[in-house]
This record gives sequence, C-alpha cells and structure tokens, in this order.
Amino acid sequence: MKKVFAGIDVGSVSTNVVVIDVEGNILSVQYLRTNGQPIEAAREGLRNLYNEFNTKIQIIGIGTTGSGRQLTGIMVGADVIKNEITAHATGTITHVPGTRTIFEIGGQDSKIIFLKDGMVTDFAMNTVCAAGTGSFLEHQSERLGIPIEQFGDMALTAEKNVRIAGRCTVFAESDMIAKQQYGFSKAEIINGLCEALVRNYINNLGRGKKLEPPYVFQGGVAANKGIVAAFERELGHEVIVPPNYNVMGAVGAAILAKEHIERTGKATSFRGFECTDLEFTPSSFICGGCDNSCEVIKVQMDGKIMAMWGDRCGKWTNSIG
Amino acid sequence: MKVAFPYMGTTVIYKKLIELLGHDVVEPPEPTQRTIELGVKYSPEFACFPLKVVLGSYIEAVELGATTIVTSGGHGPCRAGFYGETHKKILRNLGYDVDIIVFDDYKSDKTGTIKKVRRLKNGKSWFYLWKSLKTVYSMAKSLDNIEKRIEKMRAYEVNRGECTKAWQTIKTWFDEVENIEDVRKTEGKSNKLLGEIKLIEVPEPNKIKIGIVGEIYVVMEQSINLRIEEMLGGLGAEVERSQYLSKWIDFNLLPKGIGKEHELNILKKGEKYIQEIIGGHAKQTVGHIVDYAERGFDGVVHLMPFACLPELVSQSIIPAISKEHNIPVITLSIDEQTGAANTLTRMEAFMDLIKSIKRTKIA
Repeated sequence: MKKVFAGIDVGSVSTNVVVIDVEGNILSVQYLRTNGQPIEAAREGLRNLYNEFNTKIQIIGIGTTGSGRQLTGIMVGADVIKNEITAHATGTITHVPGTRTIFEIGGQDSKIIFLKDGMVTDFAMNTVCAAGTGSFLEHQSERLGIPIEQFGDMALTAEKNVRIAGRCTVFAESDMIAKQQYGFSKAEIINGLCEALVRNYINNLGRGKKLEPPYVFQGGVAANKGIVAAFERELGHEVIVPPNYNVMGAVGAAILAKEHIERTGKATSFRGFECTDLEFTPSSFICGGCDNSCEVIKVQMDGKIMAMWGDRCGKWTNSIG
Repeated sequence: MKVAFPYMGTTVIYKKLIELLGHDVVEPPEPTQRTIELGVKYSPEFACFPLKVVLGSYIEAVELGATTIVTSGGHGPCRAGFYGETHKKILRNLGYDVDIIVFDDYKSDKTGTIKKVRRLKNGKSWFYLWKSLKTVYSMAKSLDNIEKRIEKMRAYEVNRGECTKAWQTIKTWFDEVENIEDVRKTEGKSNKLLGEIKLIEVPEPNKIKIGIVGEIYVVMEQSINLRIEEMLGGLGAEVERSQYLSKWIDFNLLPKGIGKEHELNILKKGEKYIQEIIGGHAKQTVGHIVDYAERGFDGVVHLMPFACLPELVSQSIIPAISKEHNIPVITLSIDEQTGAANTLTRMEAFMDLIKSIKRTKIA
C-alpha cells in the first residue's frame, strides 16, 4: 500500500482533488464541476479516487482549500485547512521554483501573488465585481456562439487589433456589440476581449506594483491561449503555464498537508473513504441572542453536531467540545 | 429636545455628554443589516458608504423619537464635509421632522458655533458645561486606553470572545459614570475585570502586531468593517487603530498647542508621500503606515470606503511606502457586502505572509 497525501480545492466553479506521493510527485488529478454543490463534488472526487486506487493507496495526510475549505475540511477530517492564496503559492513554487509573479484567474475570482525567494511578499484578490474572470469569458462565448474551448485558438487567428473597453463587463459588452457593427471578425473581437481582460486584470490587481518575471499563469482561464498571448504582449515577456495549471490549489493543499504531517509527526485525522457515505448536513440559522443577529452555520454528521461558526460572540463556536 | 447622534465607535461617550446637559438621549442602535439597507435605499448611489450607514442610523434614531441630531462636520476638500447638509436634505425630503445641528470647524465660524452650543447647553451654566466636557473627555481617554489593552489581549485569549464580552460589560459600566471620580473608579474596576481573563503566554518575538489605518468611520465602526479587529485578534494578531476618539478630540477640538503633538508628528511622517491635506484621512493614513513601520509592527491593514477619493490616492502610493519601509500592507475596500468569508481568506493569507517573513527574520 502506497502512502500518499491528498489535496482538495473546492472552488465556485470547479472542485479539484489531487494525490501526491511522499516525494511530492503527482499521482492523480481530478477536475470536477462544483455545480453549486461543494460537498457533493468533494464526495464524488473522493469516490473516484477510491475507484481508481481502491486499497492500493493509504492517505496519510489531507488538506483542503478554496471557498468551500471549511465545510469540506470538516467532512473529510482535514489535517490542514488553508486559504487559497497560500495553497496556490505553495503549489506553484514547488513545481516552478523561482517564480516571482503568479497570475491566477478562476471562475469567479482572480488573484495575483508576488513572491521572492520562494516566499509570498504581497498579493491581491479582485473585489466587488467579477469582471476579468472566467465567468465573463464564458458569458461572451455563449453570446458569440463559440464554445469556450475554441476561444483561445480563435483569438490567435485575429489579423487586426480591436480595442474593447474592459473597465467593466457591462461596458465591455456594449463596446463589443458596437465593434461588431463596425465589421470586425469574430476572431478579432475575441482577441480584443482577451486583451481587455488582461488590461483590466493588471490594472485592478497590479495597481502600480512591479511585476517581476518569471511569470506563471494558472487557474482555469490559463487554458485559453488567447489570454496567454495577450499577457505576453502586455508584459513583453514569456508567461509560463505549468502542467496541472488548473489544479494548483489542490496541489498546494496536498503539499501543505505533507509538510504539516512531516513537521508534527502526527497521524492524519482523515476519516477514510467511508466519510463519503456519512450523512453530512450543513444548515444555518439566525441567532436571536442579541441584536447582532449572526447567521450561524451548523454542521451535522450522522445527527451529531460537528462544528458551528459564524457567531461573533463565540457562544456557538465554543459550545462544541 | 430628544437628541441623537451618529453611531461611530464607543458611543457611550457622546451619549454621556448629551445626558449630562439634561437632554433626553435617543441612542441609535448599532448599525445592522437593516440600517445599511435603509441608508443605501435613500442615499445617492455614488455617495460613499459612511454617508449611507450614517443616514440609515439617523432614520432609525428618528423612528425611535429623536427630534434633534448632533453631529460633527468634516473639514478639508473631501465630500464628507457636506454630509450634514446632505443628510438634512434627504431626511427633509423623506418627510422626517428632525433638526440636525452640525458642528463644523469652530475656528471658521465662532459666533455660529457659540449659538449652537447655547442651544445644546440647555440653560446650564458655562461652568457646568466645562465640568461636563471634562468628565466626558476623561471618559474618552480612559475608554480608549481600555480598548487598546483589549485589542492586544484578544490575540491571546484562551476562551474566544471573552475580551469582546468584557468590553461590552465595561461600556455599560461607563454608562453609569457622573463625574471624573467615577471615571477613575470605573477604569480601575475595568482593568481588574480584564486582568482576570485567561491568556496564552506568547514570547515577545513571536507576537504579531498589525496596525489598522484608513478613513475614520470604517476604521472606528466595527459593525460595518466586518469586525476586522476581532477577526485579526482571532487569527492571533494584536491590533492598533490609527483613529481613536480621544485623539480626534485632541486634534480637532482642543485649543491650539494642546495635545496635538502626536497627530502633527504623524502628518509629518506622511509629508513625503502626500504633501497637501487632500481630505478624509489620506495624509494620516500614509503617516501612520510609516509610524507603524518605525515602531516595528509586522503589517498594516488599510481600510477605505469603496470609491473614497482621498483613500484611493493613498492606496496608489502605498506600494512605494510598503517597499521603502519594508512593511506589508493590504487594502480592503468596504461596501454593502456583509459576507466576511472573502475578507477572512485575505486576512488568513496576510497572516501567513507575515508569519513567513517573521520566520526568516528570526532564522
């Protein structure tokens, strides 16, 4: 039985499960759609893993990250529950040593991470709106009737440059329609969109900070060659898209679990593959204890309360022994 | 006259002053989701978040029976200086019968200010007013000292939430004071209460200190800034704010030459990056970042209302300051969103960043 570490990244659009061995080599990668059901997606990932390896592997450490990290972490019994910035940075720096700047564009959010000597020195995440993320591109691909998978290749065939306003998605859309009326081809419009997205991203997240190479581009949107090319044009420098670019968060979570177990020498708190069969119900209620009216999240497993959070005073959080 | 005031920070202080002058006080409730909804509904869309929340809290005060609202005006070129007038107009258009007394910078309108004071003085003697002001000022000083202690302790409490609970109790105690003597006694009692809270021992070099800077309202009012102090405390960081009520009084209300050294010093430290007062607290923001770096803090959280012009200026200068002074800074822009998950992710990552810098510094 091979000893391995697992990482789960539960994001808004995709849920990824990665398994690495004790040397850090990636053994298995799963990229699943979250479809608004993070728990179900994580379960499916673990089940697939079990079907793939059965008893050939033994998970001796597991980490979760992404927006659903807390809930999933409780379900699987994670050893490490980490924010996605740290997880992504850890994954990338292990696989592309020397990285100075990470561009990460996912379905609903985007981030930029600055590193020096393998350490995060600064980072930023998009706020307020989802302009410049995968959802925006997906929406436009529907509008143009071109599958998102072909978007990138099509952008590369553009012959002329079209400038599309990228400050805000709504403006970009009306600008795009106007440019269509001018007679630009679909390829040129798509290329213009890619450039708008990159400009928007660098303005919003870079904010006057110095972007130092080597650059690494990851997240689901990195599959789009048009965006990669637009980044390279904007920066005047090569941009690396690592293998497994779309599951770097999960890779990082697995590495963090590995480091944690190696450092502490503890046994994993992983509940085993059986956890996918446990009845697991998160629910929430408004606490009426005071005027704060906190929304408290309660997680039950087979009828037993496993965790509670969301209360400002700690009344519920502390009630779990 | 039923008097209310804007809700910001330790409100028991304003409440006390109005009470001592013999008015009925209508204390607006701490801003909740409803307050924000009311404010957003009746404010111009592009107005900044503090204007909206304060408007919501005025409406709630009026619903509770307030007939007069007392507030301070802003000064400098930021639009906050016009808030009092804007609020007046909106409330009047909504058909609320309420009077707003705005105290602008007294140096620019001495007679006007005296007139307003006379109204609020409520027939009490000038000596009595002086005594009341002194009591309230000592209360502000003492509450700020206690809060600063709590902001440090929260990082190490054994039972989560205990410090915040004690803070609530302490504020109700201060609500009972009548004179300076009471303030002194209550401060002693409060410190004793805090002394009983169990703390985890952390060696000095491992302590993490974070400064919070930015626009005054989002820095001081915890109910709308996602309780950032409690969040950071929970993650194990001591915090200190750039804004405290007593410091604001020192700088804006005391006569020339008294108690202003600290703020002037901060402004001087920011001079290199922003020469002019451009409104809001932009110049203080940059000054405080330099100050925190010099005092050995590990990081700074910069809070700004979404689209706040002065703080946008400071935000764009921050990368340079951060680099020059070797201190990580993260900016959060505060708006109607009340979900704390996004902010928690950022704060956790920020703490990871600080810890890894600290580790290499020690090694």
